[in-house]
Parts: sequence; structure tokens; C-alpha cells
Amino acid sequence: MSNNRTIPAPDNDLSRRAMLRGVALAATAIASGQLSLEAAQHVHQQVKEEKKNAGTYKLKLFNEREYKTLGRLAELIVPADEVSGSAREAGAPEFTDLLCSQNRELADIYTGGLFWLDAQMEDRHGVSFLDATEGQQTAMLDLLVEAEKQEGERRAQGLTFEDIQRYQEFESYGIYRPSELSPGIRFFDWVRRMTVDAFYTSEIGVKDIGYKGNTATSKFEVPQEIIDYALKRSPFASS
Amino acid sequence: MSQIKRSPEIHDVVVIGSGAGGGTVAHVLTALGLKVTLLEAGPMLDPAKEFKEHQWPHEVDHRGAEEGGAVYFGRGKPFGYFTTTNGGWELEGEPYTVAEGSEFRWFRSRILGGRTNHYGRMSFRFSDYDFKPYDRDGLGTNWPISYDDISPYYDKAETLIGVTGTKEGIRSAPDGVFHDPPPAKAHEILIKKASEKLNIPCIPNRRAVITRDLNGRPACHYCGQCGRGCLTASNYSSSQVQIFPAMKTGKLKIIDMAMAREVLTDKSGKVVGVSYIDKKTRTEQELRCRVVVLAASACESARLLLNSKSNRYQNGLANGSGVVGRFLMDTVGFDLSGQVAALEGLPRYNSDGFGGAHLYMPWWGWENQSKLGFPRGYHIEIGGGYGMPQVGSFHHAASRYGYGKKLKEGARRDYGTHVAFAGRGEMIPNNHSYCEIDPKVVDQWGIPVLRFHFKWTDYEWKQARHMEQTFAAIIETMGGTVNRLSTAQRQRDGISVPGMIIHEVGTVRMGTDPKTSALNGFCQSHEAKNLFVCDAGPFVSNPDKNPTLTINALAWRTSDYIAEEMKKGNV
Repeated sequence: MSNNRTIPAPDNDLSRRAMLRGVALAATAIASGQLSLEAAQHVHQQVKEEKKNAGTYKLKLFNEREYKTLGRLAELIVPADEVSGSAREAGAPEFTDLLCSQNRELADIYTGGLFWLDAQMEDRHGVSFLDATEGQQTAMLDLLVEAEKQEGERRAQGLTFEDIQRYQEFESYGIYRPSELSPGIRFFDWVRRMTVDAFYTSEIGVKDIGYKGNTATSKFEVPQEIIDYALKRSPFASS
Repeated sequence: MSQIKRSPEIHDVVVIGSGAGGGTVAHVLTALGLKVTLLEAGPMLDPAKEFKEHQWPHEVDHRGAEEGGAVYFGRGKPFGYFTTTNGGWELEGEPYTVAEGSEFRWFRSRILGGRTNHYGRMSFRFSDYDFKPYDRDGLGTNWPISYDDISPYYDKAETLIGVTGTKEGIRSAPDGVFHDPPPAKAHEILIKKASEKLNIPCIPNRRAVITRDLNGRPACHYCGQCGRGCLTASNYSSSQVQIFPAMKTGKLKIIDMAMAREVLTDKSGKVVGVSYIDKKTRTEQELRCRVVVLAASACESARLLLNSKSNRYQNGLANGSGVVGRFLMDTVGFDLSGQVAALEGLPRYNSDGFGGAHLYMPWWGWENQSKLGFPRGYHIEIGGGYGMPQVGSFHHAASRYGYGKKLKEGARRDYGTHVAFAGRGEMIPNNHSYCEIDPKVVDQWGIPVLRFHFKWTDYEWKQARHMEQTFAAIIETMGGTVNRLSTAQRQRDGISVPGMIIHEVGTVRMGTDPKTSALNGFCQSHEAKNLFVCDAGPFVSNPDKNPTLTINALAWRTSDYIAEEMKKGNV
């Protein structure tokens, strides 16, 4: 087990420096009153052209096993499919490692959550999450998602956590029983939110979701076929 | 020996604050040949360093979640890492207090240009009836000026800063000097159809963005990132549009990191200067001048006046009436969203546009006000389209679809199908909403801080419920599903937390009667003729129009008046 393992970096700070160069250029242009759309486009162009992935990533907090478990979770949460790669490929484990290394509170959520997950897997299947079969892994996640849904429904009925505490005497009715999976629900929600963030903010994710903006253009236009598409499916189709 | 550093120089005009008001005063007065010294409590602005326009989240190692994932713990920068805010609802070392039973959050900027660097840039003129609210329904107080007084200054302000719009002839939303607006986005076309079916006007948005070149500023390049600060200055900020050009005249001196402590007066009651803390050296300094203009933001200017006590002004400067700090108003806010089936599967297009919605709905109910059950009105702002994926953008999809292929496909299907509506309405001033000096607390500069009192009344709550019904009706008319509020959610989110819309106004109000107002119609103190207030403090009411454009226009009018009065030797 080593904390010095190197792996490809999801990104590096070259980009920021290149951006600042572009920005400085644009600012000079403003000062000299020569600013044009070309100058604006230049800024965007510089951002686009920067090189990525030149460096390598060193684990900052997690051990190798934790890192691999996070990688597996990332793959399960946002898997590769015919459109794009997985959240692991988009740098989710590195993103998590970095933020956890900067924040003890977050680090505890993750190390605690990973221990909880492994203990549950040992109890249920006699094997750690990482070493379990895909079927065992997804069975665990399905349990958490289902338990989360039930919690959500209680909330939708207007029952807050405090309500649930207050009415603990009604536990025998079964309605308000807090789930033994509660710590896992919380942890999985953390992993899922941060995995999704890492994925959709990556170049892979931006392409997957189809965001077309962050460019400079001299004219804003919506293609007519797009307007027609929306109108045709709306209640205003005939009007 | 005194520790205070006194400069022997007599400045023409000292302006405190560099936002919409201070920026306008600096720009107009330097153009008229006066020498202006501007105090800013934050640092100078360097767009090349501050503005994160065009940056992708993946270009930053924390992706915008900030160090240690601060945003996940609700400790991130207000409006997100990439915006150009420098300030927030809490400032380290500069606290404020809130009285028991009240709720108020006070947003303050600490940077050259203030909140204009990141604001929403909605630029709506007040209507003729907005200046005479008391005449309309017997509530609140009339302004001492009318629409005709300010209209030429709306023209000037719009001509300089550049505002989009179209001539519509709607009484609640007077037309101005406009740049062509960009066309509507796809989801907005459906919203417009739904609105019109409900007899709600839905018109091109009026935002301080230029769509043709203006005074060396190139037209908007439609990246949709106004909130990050615009590198090409294609939108309005007082820093780029007024202060930087004013600096080129050689007549503007800027003192940054200068926290004003007190306005100084002589025995006759005349203002003679300003004392401030130089934050860089933690020393107190004094400037002498002929005229002081407060443009520190409505509440900060009120605080400064209340802290400027002397034998002559025992109640605080310009506060013989006792109104300074009173009649604090924010905008009534309420938001509702929904999902629209017709937008599912829409071919992707770049919907960034000019940094805000391309359409909006001005208030439409002024003629049958009596049937509505609440006074005054609101306008509606629109959200929707394909936003840049950011930290948090897909949390909703994540909890909706669980994980795996289902999540990925669900996120693709839902992306861009949500529409959101934000009502921004008029609050009636009330006796429970004001700020005063907290006798027990000082900030890190030793300056007594503000204590806030605030209550919405039934007027505001009923208006917010009307917003809720209206937004739900629009969403349903366009075939959408409303994200309805539960009773518990309505209790919590049914109306904005006071201060959160950041339209706080009214604390140094103008009026004809010195007994019930602090300033005259030229934003000049009734008591000290060489003291002026040029932020939203002078507002007598807070119409459902975002305040910035009116701050610009009023400050311009006041600046013309100051120059004239100085020339005549009256101040």
C-alpha cells in the first residue's frame, strides 16, 4: 500500500495559466480600445487549445484500496456506455481524493463511509465491496437506493427528521423506523453527488450531456427546426 | 499626539463607495471638470485577475467545488466559484446583528465596482405611478420627484451603459433608449405562448448588455457569463464603464481599502470632510473636502450617518427627522420551477445567450389591482435552457435516477427540460423593518455595526402566493409538471429571506418635508447642504423594478445638481 502511487491526472493547472494569458491579452485590448470579437474569440481559443494530462496524479489522502473502491463506485454510478466513458475515467476518484485531503470533515465522511460499506458487505456476503462480484455490489447499492426512496417519501409526507425523532414511540407501527442503512444512505449520497459532479464537469461529461456553449459568437440564433420541434410537441402545436 | 493622519489638501468632492451610485457620480463629475476622490472599502479591481469568464470547471482542480469541497457544506462563495463577487452575506471582521424575532441577511461587496461587477443587470425604469405610490392606494409615501424629473436621466444612463429592449408601450414598464435584444430561446418561446394565453405580457428582456459596439466596448459575444465579469466590457459594471474611463481624465483619485468611519462636520453643521480607516496600515486618516457624496449602499450609508454624531447632530448626521435607517425594504422574492415534456429530446443548441433570460414579464395587473387582494405588483424573471454543467447541476438527476445507466440516461433526458420562474415584487415599507446602530458591537475597525429589524407583512405574503399560482399556471399551460411545494416547503420557501434578493433600499429617504425625510429631491441633506446620498438609500418605495438603473439615473441627476450648485457657490 502506498500513498505515492502515480496515476494519470484528470487535469492540471497549466490550463489556468493559459487562461490568464488570454485574459491579460483581452484586458490589454480593452485598455487600448481595440477590442473586437476576434479578441474575445482569441480568449476562448486559448482555453480550447491548452494541453491536458501532461502530469501524473499522486494520491493525497486515500490508500490504494480506498482509491480503487472509489474508482469502482464511480464506475457503477456513472458507467461507460455507447456514448461516453465512466466517471472513473472522468477523474472522480482523484477529485474526491483532492477535496478530502483538504478537509478533515469530508475525509471522515469518506473513510468512515468506506469502512461502513466494507463491513456491510462482509456481513452480507463475506467479502469486501471491492472484491465482491458485480451482482453483489449492485445488490448493495440497490438496497441503499430503495431505503433512500422510502426516506424521501416520508419527507414528502412532511415528516422531517425531527418529526421522526419525536414520534419514535410509533416505531412499532413500522412507519417511522429509521433504517439501519441510514449511514450508508448518507455516504452513498455523498459519493454519488461528487461522482456526478466530477463526471459532468469533465470534458467527457460536457460532451456526453451535449452542452454547446462557452463560446464567442457575433450573433445569437436558435435554429428554426429546434423551435419547430418544441412547438410541435407542446400544447401550442396548432396555434 | 493624535494618531490620525490629516491631509492638508482640500478635495472638491469625496465619494464613498464605487458601485452604481459612486461610479456614476465619479463619471459625471469628472466629465464636468471636477476633481473627485473615491473611497472604496475593498481592493482595486483587476479584470485580468478577477474575472473567470470562459473558464471551464475542469480547468480548476476542484471543479468549482472550492477548496475542501466548501460548496458541499454551504460555505462556498456566494453565486459560485466562477462569479466575480468579492463579498457576501457575511464578511470576516465586519459583522452585523439581527434583532430577536427578525430575519435579515445583508450582502456587502468589497471591491471597486461593488455589486455591479456581478449583478443580474436587469434594467427596468420605474413607472410614472411608482413615484406616487401613496396617491395610488394610500400606502407608503410619495416621492418628491416624478417620472418626468428622472426620465431624461434614464435616457442618459441607458445611453451610456447600454440596455437592451423594445418599445412596448406598457405603463408599468416605460420604454427607454434600447439596444436590440437577442431573439428568444426555445423554451422561452413556449413560455411566451403560455403567458399570452393567460394574458400576461412576455417581452424582450431589458438588461445592461450592449448588442452593438459602444464607446470602444465591443458588442456582446453571447457566452452567457455576465456574472463572472465581462472581459470585453460588453455589459455594464461601474468599474469598467464609468470608473476606468473616469480615471483616464486625470481627475479621479481612488483610495482603495478605505473603510469610511465618519463624516466630519464643523460647528455650523457644514460637512468638512471624511475620516476613514486605511485597511492596509490600520491607521485612521482624514480628508478635507467641499462636498461629500455617500454611495456606500443604502444600509452602509445609513450606518455612516448614524455614526457621524456631533453636538450639532446628536441623532446622527442628516437625521433630525429620525428617519435614517427606517423604511428598510427588500424585494419580495419567490421561485417556482417545473419540467416541460415538449423540451425532452430537443436537439441540443447553444442557449447561453446574453447572460440572462431573453424575455421577461413586466407587471400586468395595475388596472385591476383592487381585485387581487394585495397592493402593488411584481415582474417575472425566467430560467431554463442548457446551462454549463457545474458542480451541483446534476444532483437532482442523481437522486432521481439512483445510479448506473439509468442515471446517465435520465440526466441526458432531463437536461434542459426544466423551466424556472422568479417573481420580484414590491414590498410596502413598514415600521418593523429598519436598521439602527447596535450599541454593543463594533467591527474590526472599531466602527459600531448595524442591527437589523425586519418583518414581511401579509401584503408581501399574499403577493408571493399570487406568484405561486401564476407560475404554476404558466408551467401547466405549456404542458409542464410543476415542482409543487408541500406545506412545510411553503412555510420555509414561500417568500424570500429578507435581504436575500439584495435590493435593500430606503434607509435615507428623500421627501419634501424635513420632518419626515433626510434628503430633498436632489438627494441633498435637508440639514447639511454639501452632503448627498447617491445609492438606494434615498428611495421612498421599492417598486418591482430592480434598483440599479434608478440608482444610476438618480445619481446622474444629483451629480448635475452638485456641479451646478458648486459653480453657483451654494455648496
